[in-house]
Amino acid sequence: MQKTMLIDTSRCIGCRACQAACKQWNQLPAEETEFKGSYENPPRFSPVTWTKIAFREYEMDSQERWTFTKLGCMHCTEAACMMVCPASAISRTAYGTIKIDEKRCIGCNYCIANCTFNVIGFDQAANVARKCTFCEDRLAAGLIPACAKACPSGAITFGDRHEMISLAERRIQELRRAGNSKAEIYGLEELDGLGMMYILKDGREDAMAKYGLPENPRVRTSAHIWNVIFKPVRAIIVLALAFALWINKSESAKEAKAS
Amino acid sequence: MKLSRRSFLKLAGTAAAASVLAGSGLESKAAAAEAIRVHYGREVPTICTFCAVGCGIICHVQNGVIINAEGDPDHPINEGSLCSKGSSLYNVSYIYDAKGRPKPNPYRLTRPLYRAPGSDKWEEKSWEWMLETIARRIKDTRDQYFETRDASGVTVNRTNAIAWLGSAFCTNEENYLYNKIARAIGIVNIDHCARL
Repeated sequence: MQKTMLIDTSRCIGCRACQAACKQWNQLPAEETEFKGSYENPPRFSPVTWTKIAFREYEMDSQERWTFTKLGCMHCTEAACMMVCPASAISRTAYGTIKIDEKRCIGCNYCIANCTFNVIGFDQAANVARKCTFCEDRLAAGLIPACAKACPSGAITFGDRHEMISLAERRIQELRRAGNSKAEIYGLEELDGLGMMYILKDGREDAMAKYGLPENPRVRTSAHIWNVIFKPVRAIIVLALAFALWINKSESAKEAKAS
Repeated sequence: MKLSRRSFLKLAGTAAAASVLAGSGLESKAAAAEAIRVHYGREVPTICTFCAVGCGIICHVQNGVIINAEGDPDHPINEGSLCSKGSSLYNVSYIYDAKGRPKPNPYRLTRPLYRAPGSDKWEEKSWEWMLETIARRIKDTRDQYFETRDASGVTVNRTNAIAWLGSAFCTNEENYLYNKIARAIGIVNIDHCARL
């Protein structure tokens, strides 16, 4: 069953309970950071920061706005990371979420370079890529993800996709009636549907400046090319390379013997 | 062995059924291997100590050691949710190292600490010493600065030399008693850390 998280930017109060709950449940250590002029902290995703709130200030209708958006792995349907992974370490689970198998990960960084939302972190010590798991262990035990459970303002809702879509549509109507005429849903059509669906209270125009989300997320053309042309024959390429190296080695051994 | 069309189909069907059964067996085994990490923990309900809201928290305790703390879904105040401070309550006891293993929080206070006036370091003291010293100093300060009448001759019976700060770590009833004792000894500067 496809699971989806609905994030309502009109309800988020920026308390970062989701960030703390994520670290607590997934046993991730804290990061030492410094003040950079925004409450957004830590500044970027890392192997120990899987979710964070983007704090964005902007002006709309000659009014100062301050918006908080929970970002993290979007568990895209058209997932660039899964396409490019040469070790087949990234797969889709029964909940429709994207999972990195740390045992198979070879630490090549392709997923990190190709991620549409820049949410994957690289653990140099363990040589693996790490990101939000959508608390797959909790889902298997019948619980909801730690961030969705912690949210005190009801900005994060979690459930089956069709339920989240109808909930989002109801909320959009509510916001429009209350005078938020630009409110709309994000993540319904993007990359064939994101596992994290958003209610953008001020519309998707300039989404990067307002919420830290790309306005039109796209999988890079290079990722498509890699996926279609090179990935199916990668075993052959590796074997050919190994063979070439072996030939080269035996040839140079012969030469060394001769001289 | 003579194999008729019918027996061949039977055989194929049985083989297919067997493989499906075997497959499902494997799946359930794989699921059991990934049991949630608090699965064998005992659930102990408690109240968050950070502010006056008093959210309910469930602590998971295994072999006498706390392994997790999260919002109590059955608590009427927070219904399972928590703020950022409550969400990190577990880290009061244990923090995670770079490999995600819990280690005792080095900054957790487990004994009363005393810093003498003018000193730059904390010393460990016993509770008896602490309580006696605090009581002695409150009494002395109060007696020294106690005023019965103010400048215009109105009876006030107060001391302005002490301020009293209540705590959200205490219950409502405890704070009521603190308020009583503070007023009984003439303290008028009373406040609370969770005042909103």
